Amino acid sequence: MVAKSHSDNSESQAYLPDFCTGGAVIVVVLVAELVAILLTLAAHNTPGMFMIELAKTSLFVLWLGILGSVVMCVFRDRLESAGKTLAFVVSFVVLEILCVVLAEIAYQVTRIFGESVIIDDSHLNFILRTFAISSIVIALTMRYLYVSSEWRRSVVLEAQARISALQALIRPHFLFNSMNTIASLTRSDPRQAEEAVEDLSDLLRANLSGSGHRTTLKEELEVAAIYQRIEKLRLGDRLSVRWNIDDLPMRALIPSLTIQPLLENAIYHGIELLPDGGEVVVTGERDDEFVVITIANPVAAGKERSIDGNKMAMENIQQRFALAYDNRASVEVDEGNSSFEIKLRFPYEERST
Amino acid sequence: MKVLIVDDEKPARDRLRQLIADFGSHEVIAEATNGQQALSMAAANSPDVVLLDIRMPGIDGIETAHHLNSMESPPAVVFTTAYDEYAIDAFEARAIGYVLKPVRRERLEKALEHAARVTGKMLKQLASESKFQSRRQHVCARVQGELRLIPIDSVSFFIADQKYVTVHHSDGQDLIDDSLKSLEDEFADDFVRIHRGALVAVDQIDRLQKNDDGKIRVVLRQDSLADGDELIISRRHLTDVRKRLKGG
Repeated sequence: MVAKSHSDNSESQAYLPDFCTGGAVIVVVLVAELVAILLTLAAHNTPGMFMIELAKTSLFVLWLGILGSVVMCVFRDRLESAGKTLAFVVSFVVLEILCVVLAEIAYQVTRIFGESVIIDDSHLNFILRTFAISSIVIALTMRYLYVSSEWRRSVVLEAQARISALQALIRPHFLFNSMNTIASLTRSDPRQAEEAVEDLSDLLRANLSGSGHRTTLKEELEVAAIYQRIEKLRLGDRLSVRWNIDDLPMRALIPSLTIQPLLENAIYHGIELLPDGGEVVVTGERDDEFVVITIANPVAAGKERSIDGNKMAMENIQQRFALAYDNRASVEVDEGNSSFEIKLRFPYEERST
Repeated sequence: MKVLIVDDEKPARDRLRQLIADFGSHEVIAEATNGQQALSMAAANSPDVVLLDIRMPGIDGIETAHHLNSMESPPAVVFTTAYDEYAIDAFEARAIGYVLKPVRRERLEKALEHAARVTGKMLKQLASESKFQSRRQHVCARVQGELRLIPIDSVSFFIADQKYVTVHHSDGQDLIDDSLKSLEDEFADDFVRIHRGALVAVDQIDRLQKNDDGKIRVVLRQDSLADGDELIISRRHLTDVRKRLKGG
């Protein structure tokens, strides 16, 4: 089973604002009124007629704004699921159609009931004018919404990534088991205990400096190697790790704390639960403009796996990749009956000097 | 007291042994690296206390404790674990103690002292109260004083015969101590009762067959047809069996 996942449309990541709330309606009314004032000010008005002109324009623009909100409110879910670009294009087209239809209705209504000439313009001219003005206003609004939603999304993603990095850092099982190992080694092999304390400190330091930044593959692999050394003390011959990484460009950048947590997963959910242990295989290669890193491990067959923990680390990495590379990177999981493999693919970039 | 240490990690076993050697009042009689080994060592050496790691490959510590509890004279169980997410399971297993890693000298000493005060009678009482929340992966048979674990996946059916329950599995058949009722409760998802004294693994059933005398019996996938009489479905359970076979 190959599951390729992109970030979901959870509420925090919605790009279209929710027009169904009272607050949104007030904002729409305000904006509509401002547009009405702007239009009236810009028009050549006969002195003393300003308020009347404003009333006429407001009536039209408010109808447009409120009906537009209703449409967006009703179809939001369906638009969201269509994807970002399509959602904005479809919203724009739908709102434009609504404008033209409303303009037509307004024109017909004033022609039938209006004794005085409310709309002092030819039919075609009126429709075209409405179309042009509304296009600009709607396009501007869309752009504004798009930018602000992107900004909101990146803030949320970053916060989530920070939190899960923190959680990953303090995986208690690892920390306490390592401490127990060190307590044991201080008697049987003080020298090794010394090294273990140094390694553990380096690892914690790397974790504390956070996952918000990018680091070189060289540094990232060093952190993973330190982690491996600590686990090796605990698991002995049960753990072996094969590093097929000679083809990796060591200067390539990678979001920090990517490989170590995946290695941790491979050990925690895989090797540790096998009575005779097993081998984790880390393979890295360069594929044109991309770097591909695969981490594969055996798992105990038929054992109920604690999928939750696994999922959290995976989601964390997916989010951080999405944040760092948009959709130019991918995280693929291949879960077999007795094996587990995760494949990272991300653009090859170097630090500009 | 005779102590059995069970942990899959060597440094963790070493630490416990060092600390117990320091106390001077207890004796480590054996070390096991997994649950399976722990059970056969416990049967062979009858320890007073088992220091049992929870997260281990194969049969984990919680399941091991439940199998230990089914012994004739169960040992006192003290869990050792790095993280207290298993506290409830440990409580359900009626453990005597619970020591967090890194293991503190005083904590371990206290737990062992406490275990020493508990009498065999109390242990037996506690063991009979223990409940296993999640489904076991194995059932435990006793063959000439030794414990044998039978993976539940390899079991085709259980037959209750007066006092004992016989488990029929891919490597033969054994007597076990569990009651048919408790087995039915625990493995309700995978087993179906076909008459008052028989539980059959649903995925081992090949088809139902009508005998010449009009009785309907279960035909297993690997059926010797020798167990014919034991696998006749009683009228009371027939609808239920049919429903389960349809995938209900």
